[in-house]
Amino acid sequence: MDKEMTLEEAFVELDEMIKKLEDRSITLEDSFQEYDKGMKLLKYCNDKIDKVEKKILIINEDGETHEF
Amino acid sequence: MQNIYTVGQVNAYIKNMFAQDFMLGRIYIKGEVSNCKYHTSGHIYFTLKDETGTIACVMFAGQRSGLAFSMKEGQKVIVLGSVSIYERDGRYQLYAKEILLEGSGLLYQKLEELKKKLEEMGMFSQEYKQPIPRYIEKLGIVTASTGAAVRDIINIAKRRNPYLQIILYPALVQGEGAAESIVKGIETLDRYRVDTIIIGRGGGSIEDLWAFNEEIVARAVFQCSTPIISAVGHETDTTISDYVADLRAPTPSAAAELAVFDYGALQEKLWDYQRRMGSLLKNKLIYIRSIAENYSLKLNYLSPVSQIREKRQYAADLENRLQENMKKLILNKRYQLDIYIEKMNGLSPLQKLNQGYSFVADERGMAVTDVEQVKKDDLLRIHVANGEISAKVLDKVKMRRNHNG
Repeated sequence: MDKEMTLEEAFVELDEMIKKLEDRSITLEDSFQEYDKGMKLLKYCNDKIDKVEKKILIINEDGETHEF
Repeated sequence: MQNIYTVGQVNAYIKNMFAQDFMLGRIYIKGEVSNCKYHTSGHIYFTLKDETGTIACVMFAGQRSGLAFSMKEGQKVIVLGSVSIYERDGRYQLYAKEILLEGSGLLYQKLEELKKKLEEMGMFSQEYKQPIPRYIEKLGIVTASTGAAVRDIINIAKRRNPYLQIILYPALVQGEGAAESIVKGIETLDRYRVDTIIIGRGGGSIEDLWAFNEEIVARAVFQCSTPIISAVGHETDTTISDYVADLRAPTPSAAAELAVFDYGALQEKLWDYQRRMGSLLKNKLIYIRSIAENYSLKLNYLSPVSQIREKRQYAADLENRLQENMKKLILNKRYQLDIYIEKMNGLSPLQKLNQGYSFVADERGMAVTDVEQVKKDDLLRIHVANGEISAKVLDKVKMRRNHNG
């Protein structure tokens, strides 16, 4: 999976996967594969959000930061 | 008195003169407000006056966006509009497009000029606008580190997504050096690689907001490779940075709403995806299973075992029917036989003997049925039901008898 994928791109892919899963003609193997891929993508989306509450930083002209 | 004109002709003539005058078509006039009437139709009628005289003014409801404050008697204002003739009264008046409090007048003119210049350079052009990313991790803010604007932005951003990294560049937003400070902030955050930058400040007079109308700020916003949301003052204040920015927000709070995605909504979206994919896969399995079941039914039906079972059933049926028919046939025959037996019974010689008849035989045992068969003194044997009698022919008489009797 491309590490640089944005959430928007992930959602576009998820929407496509869901479209494929909705298609009756898809084989069972393929649907398992899509499902698996989708679950991984969801996990990726979840992991992409760094769930640590952030302190607000102050930046100065030189690009140095310190806490607010 | 060579030429005589109607009132209408004269008024129309003057109106045309006014209309052709370049200066009267777009003019700033300053003066003091008097006789100000807000009409229910939305039009505003007032008079501008100074020490020397007055001029009648009207601002039509359609132009009301050009007035950002509530106009009151005695206020010193600058009105932008066109002077034209009101033919019905034969009066000229000022048709106002924009009204500003005086003091901001000069700045306003400067603003208009700069706006025009930058617009001609294409800096407001839609094609240069960058899309604001939907899901960001780092938000940069250029505003004063104290005041309502920064608090509003931080509160809303944190509420929507507590995991967002906010980086604040505390800038001077008004007074000496404000424009330079804002430019530094934009450049610093752009280098720091945040995802989106909000520049802005709370409401104030046109002078207070002026830094955001400076050309150097406009250029910094334009050149910034990070998408910028501009949120200066209140909804009615529009600055040049608003035009140049990739997106304009009516207030700093609104800018935070636009910049920061709602983490809860995102979670819900992810859950929704998960639910949908789960249920789709489940449906797929149910569907496949039902197909398999269908095939299994069909196959069962077609299998040799079931064929054999069916043939066996058919054979058993045939056997049953055969037996039934046979039984019927036998019954029928037995019935017929009974009839014969009855008949035979009726014909039995013994029966006849019982009824008092007897059987007469000659000496050779032949039945005597003709008188001519015997002669006098022949011995006869007479069979009766319970024995035999020997007898001798004494005499014979031949006679005719009706056989049908």
